Amino acid sequence: MNETFLSRRKILQSASSGFGYLAFSGLAQASLSQRPPLHQARAKRVIFLCMSGGPAQLDTFDYKPQTGKKPHPGSIYPFHQHGDSGLWISELMPETAKHADKLCLLNGMHADTGIHAQSFLQLHTGDRLRERPSLGAWVSYGLGTENQNLPGFVSLNTSRPSIYSSAFLPSIYSGTPIGANGEEMSKATIANVTSSHFSNDLKRKQLDFVQVMNRNHLSQRQDDQKLEGVIQSMELGFRMQMTAPDLLDLSTESPATLERYRVGAQKGPVGTCRVSDFGRQCLLARRFVEAGVRFVEVNHGSWDQHKNHRRDLEANCAATDAPIAALLEDLEQRGLLEDTLVVWGGEFGRPGLTPGDGKDETGHNANGFTFWMAGGGVKGGFAYGKTNETGARAVEGKVHFRDLHATIFDLMGLPANDLKYRHEGREHRLTGPEGGRVVREIYA
Amino acid sequence: MRALFGSQPGNPVRYCKRTSSMKVRILITGACLFFIHSTAWGNSAPEQLAFFEKKIRPVLAEHCYECHSADAKKIGGKLLLDTRKGMLDGGESGPSLDLHNIDLSLVLQALKWEGDLEMPPEEPLSPSVVSDFRKWIEMGAPDPRKEEPSEIEERTYEEGSLWSFHPVEKPTLPTVKNREWPIQPLDQFILSKLEDKNISPAETAPPRTLIRRLHFDLTGLPPSPEEVREFTAAYKNDPNVAVSRLADKLLASPHFGERWGRHWLDVARYAESNGNDGLSRNPTFPHAWRYRDYVIDAWNRDVPYDRFLTQQIAGDLLDFSSPEEHDRNRIATGFLALTAKPAKAMNNNFAMDVVADQIDVVSRGVMGISVACARCHDHKFDPVSAQDYYAMAGIFTSTETMWGVAGNEKLTAPPTDLHVLDAAPFVAPPKDFVETVILKESNTGKPKEIPKSKWEPGTPLAMGVRDAKEPADCKINLKGDAKKLGEPVPRGFLSSYSIPSPEIASTTSGRLELSQWLTSGEHPQTARVMVNRIWSHLFGKGIVGTPDDFGVYGERPSHPELLDFLACQFVEDGWSMKRLIRSIVTSRTYRLDSIAVEDTLSADPGNTWYSRHDRRRLDAESLRDSILAVSGQLNPNPSEGSIIRHRDILVNLAGNLHEPSQHRSIYLCYLRNSPPPELAAFDLPDFLSVNGKRDESTIPGHALYLYNSPFVVEQSTHLAESILSQDLPDEESIIRSLYDRALLRTPDPEELYRAKELLESSRAETESEPQAWACLCQALIATNEFRYID
Repeated sequence: MNETFLSRRKILQSASSGFGYLAFSGLAQASLSQRPPLHQARAKRVIFLCMSGGPAQLDTFDYKPQTGKKPHPGSIYPFHQHGDSGLWISELMPETAKHADKLCLLNGMHADTGIHAQSFLQLHTGDRLRERPSLGAWVSYGLGTENQNLPGFVSLNTSRPSIYSSAFLPSIYSGTPIGANGEEMSKATIANVTSSHFSNDLKRKQLDFVQVMNRNHLSQRQDDQKLEGVIQSMELGFRMQMTAPDLLDLSTESPATLERYRVGAQKGPVGTCRVSDFGRQCLLARRFVEAGVRFVEVNHGSWDQHKNHRRDLEANCAATDAPIAALLEDLEQRGLLEDTLVVWGGEFGRPGLTPGDGKDETGHNANGFTFWMAGGGVKGGFAYGKTNETGARAVEGKVHFRDLHATIFDLMGLPANDLKYRHEGREHRLTGPEGGRVVREIYA
Repeated sequence: MRALFGSQPGNPVRYCKRTSSMKVRILITGACLFFIHSTAWGNSAPEQLAFFEKKIRPVLAEHCYECHSADAKKIGGKLLLDTRKGMLDGGESGPSLDLHNIDLSLVLQALKWEGDLEMPPEEPLSPSVVSDFRKWIEMGAPDPRKEEPSEIEERTYEEGSLWSFHPVEKPTLPTVKNREWPIQPLDQFILSKLEDKNISPAETAPPRTLIRRLHFDLTGLPPSPEEVREFTAAYKNDPNVAVSRLADKLLASPHFGERWGRHWLDVARYAESNGNDGLSRNPTFPHAWRYRDYVIDAWNRDVPYDRFLTQQIAGDLLDFSSPEEHDRNRIATGFLALTAKPAKAMNNNFAMDVVADQIDVVSRGVMGISVACARCHDHKFDPVSAQDYYAMAGIFTSTETMWGVAGNEKLTAPPTDLHVLDAAPFVAPPKDFVETVILKESNTGKPKEIPKSKWEPGTPLAMGVRDAKEPADCKINLKGDAKKLGEPVPRGFLSSYSIPSPEIASTTSGRLELSQWLTSGEHPQTARVMVNRIWSHLFGKGIVGTPDDFGVYGERPSHPELLDFLACQFVEDGWSMKRLIRSIVTSRTYRLDSIAVEDTLSADPGNTWYSRHDRRRLDAESLRDSILAVSGQLNPNPSEGSIIRHRDILVNLAGNLHEPSQHRSIYLCYLRNSPPPELAAFDLPDFLSVNGKRDESTIPGHALYLYNSPFVVEQSTHLAESILSQDLPDEESIIRSLYDRALLRTPDPEELYRAKELLESSRAETESEPQAWACLCQALIATNEFRYID
């Protein structure tokens, strides 16, 4: 009962933005109904390309050539300049490189820890240790969903529930998982989304019967918001049965599209690189945002290529490069890219290898790594932030996860540090006690 | 049952009269250093002081004071650099200066941007500044600045915020106007508040509502139609007698332990696998089920709560009079071994991560206090310091935790020993059993051979703990990093309590003493927390709304005197959980209807004052169990062992391990990250940490489960077949029988009509009569009436 939309309401009450208190009182109750952003939004939806395991930034998007006589750690793969912007991109990402002018590189990322699970959790929830609402749940809480037949937050090839959990936010904002990392992704679907024991027509009659009973039950019990909520959610579930299976069914896509996305093309695991059918994930992500889902996360891993750096990195890049390029291409072609924010990155990066020293093993580096964004109102063909000459440490334009979170919120028209929720006696926010910095320098 | 309680006149209720704010002193490491060296500074040569003024002070003022002075908006890392005492005392990371090992001085390391500390955070200062600081420390750090006692050492708490740290005081029973209303003493506490606030409570619930509520609350299963009829008749005769008898019958049922054991398993974050180690590896715990059975058995035997806790924390150290008891005591310590571990690989903090979980399950599970933050820094809110944390950590670092071979994946966790049981039978794997899940080389993914187990397959084993060979105190891990060690802290308990602490002998871990400290009856939280957990399961919310957080940021009790009254009663009744539950469910308050008149609703909108009973949804287990019960498919007997009892494998490589079962849900295989599909849709916790309160979400996934899950579809067919097999004369009698079975009532004429209408539609497209009826059966199972308890 202590959970309220208080903070949001306060902001709105004081804002002269045209929404009054009344427009909001309905929001005190958890609902997926679409809500206007609090300020001018640049992005309406997010696709997060989550690269778990710590992608090697120095061999993908953070070019560190040798600078002196003595060899030092840096990029061991050739880089080339691409597009009008001349952005440096590694030759391991040839397809993505064709979209260089859409990319906004964040080369100065840094995080608190090189422990996978903790940093991965912090990337998603702002907290390294405790279960807290995930970024997608916060966005869904702030903005609702554009499509009443679908959840606001979908997480594909996901790992732990704590990664997509709504935690203390009402669970209607929780991510809907589709497939778990390590399982076969080519067939992953929403649990119990279909059955064939009755026709849809009979199912509807059956539900009508149930809902009459539910309404009578409710009317004998006065005003009970929970029971009312169940009645609504039975309807959303029913509509999802109608909508989601079609969305998940790629058979309507042309062979050319399936080929561009490389759906089902990944043959087998290579070292740490798992079969994630990343092409199917990216294509599903496009279909979900087209259908109005607010936040879609897709996952590929693991980029944690310790002992066979080159082999496993090449496999990871090969598994993800073309699908990402196809996704960017389709979003642009459909006019969706301008208000869809695409975010790429993992829980940290890796130190560079030193050319010629014969080593093929890398560890973790949380002090400097790379994310990139595209669309959603950020500059294209732009590199923000910098690591030192060995790529070991972010030295300029530093962006922490909390700054990344703040920036995503701000781009979506949500108050970066003021989207709060009261839980167990205090107000919580995604950006934690420190708060996050909105990186306005990257705005188009 | 005690009739009168603590009603001695003149016994002051100190509890609620306490008004002064409480100050708690937080110890800061390194404080004594100051006394050793302070005199030396008094004699500093003038040129040395000049050096400070010229070279050191300006740097501190320009680059450090913004965050590290008394004037700072927020003091970074609790470190003050504007006094010499502040520099010597240091902050969370330890003293800034080390006058003996100059290069180990934190201030130097930070200025050089070596290690974890990098100051100032923007960019490193020039090497000449660093060398000035080094020189200055070499001189003995002469410093003319005045000593200002730092204010941050004492923390002031808001009035009442440390309520749960105050001793439990037995309150006098409040007087009430309506003397007919109370049945149990606890009712007087509820009624007096209702009368104060002029709220008239709801009526007592009708017998059908009551028996359904009691059955679900005490056993997690619905009553049969016959039981409803019998109870209704008895209730007409004498409501109090009928309710008491029903309560006694249900408390004696073996299903009681299955219901309440499940509640405790949530607190104990019980699971049969490790869960994702962060790298998607999820090893099984093939022997965890023994702990589950221990818990069910303990609730059924009504093992006193103090004993129950002692067994779980220190069972291996207890005397025993039979091999069975020896087994039980050791199995109980599985409580401390069920940790969801992060991968060992690349994780220097692995051992301390396991300890952190053990501290958490004891502190939040038993005391309702979160100590976890103090691993890295003094707790920001609760009176728990890093010293306290490492005092407790020493108890667990002196303990050997035994989880087994962790799926034979050393990168997740190194293999450990297990308890070999004395009395439990040897159960060999079935003759045709072959392990199909292969073990893979982590880096290459190639199959590798499963190492031979050190025990013969079938040996009765249990997870648990035992004392380490050489118990020792634990050193403070600076910022929670096991590589950066501070001073050792003597093993002990939290310091903010004014209760006697048993001495810990140097030769023992201190777990037995920890359990004594918790269960002496003087600990202010142990009884309160458990009473509140029990209350919360019977009313849908606790007297303290945050059952796992009785700290500064947890909720305050709505009825503090009632909580203390029940806590006293609980301890005086020998910590009997069944007696406590009995006294609550026979009370007037528990028996109130969930339907109330408009005036009551508007006067108590959130039902804070218990003017009525809160309506609750069946949890995942009760929903599945009641579907099986009405379909006639439930096997009421306990299930033996677990489907993974012979399997040390990685769940993530196994695909779906779950198998259909007709036993109660508690016997399903609770794998972390791979929960039983029949339960997963309904807010099952993830079993990673203490959970005293399940979510009650409303998401479309529930609807999809009811529409399409193979389980619901199959059970609807069983229900239809079962109803049709009764050879009833006509359709109407069958519908009546179905309503009786599923909803424990008769349908009204309109419902009869609509049921016939649905059957007609269903017959038009289904192939058999049972299938046609299955449509109606499924509909009734999906109704709110079936899934909610009034």
